[in-house]
Amino acid sequence: MAMYIRVKRSKTTYFIQCEPTETSLDIKQKLHDLIDQPVSDQRLILVSTGEVLEDSKSLADQKVENDAVVALTLRKDDNEFEEVNIVRADDFYQSRDADAGNW
Amino acid sequence: MRKEETVKLISAEGFEFVIHKDAAMVSQTIRNMLTSPGSFAETEHGEVTFPEISTTILEKICKYFYWNLQYASGKQTEFHIEPELVLELMMAANYLHT
Repeated sequence: MAMYIRVKRSKTTYFIQCEPTETSLDIKQKLHDLIDQPVSDQRLILVSTGEVLEDSKSLADQKVENDAVVALTLRKDDNEFEEVNIVRADDFYQSRDADAGNW
Repeated sequence: MRKEETVKLISAEGFEFVIHKDAAMVSQTIRNMLTSPGSFAETEHGEVTFPEISTTILEKICKYFYWNLQYASGKQTEFHIEPELVLELMMAANYLHT
């Protein structure tokens, strides 16, 4: 296994094993197997930069590295994509401020 | 990666981590749950709830599982542990036989 990325939405994190040469579309297909959402209804956003990942580009080309956090958003009924929604564990632990910004 | 090849680990706060079974089985405790014939409900649903492990710790543990697989396949990097997590992480590791 070359690398993994963490795909997050709401309170769920999917650890996805992948290669740097794989494209964003490959990742969406893997997610499709897990969540039954067609690839066309998925949007992936690299959290550290806020950039939307493009289907045809490889992970390496888009600076998606090992252990990167990627947000998953899904197409809503009105055909628009939902906003990034990731619930952080820190919301429960104010005392862990030292950890802030550290995934 | 098919759904049957994954397992869902659920933290005390109800956060879910979906990881590959190969990674989860780095933990002897989880391996026993997933492989013992018919005795754990967890085996059938592919879900394991850890009411005593916080989300921060459980995510760290999942990262460790994958680090462990990478390390075993020859990619030798360091595994960083924040000092404030050490105690809780050791308790969880003890429970999970990791």
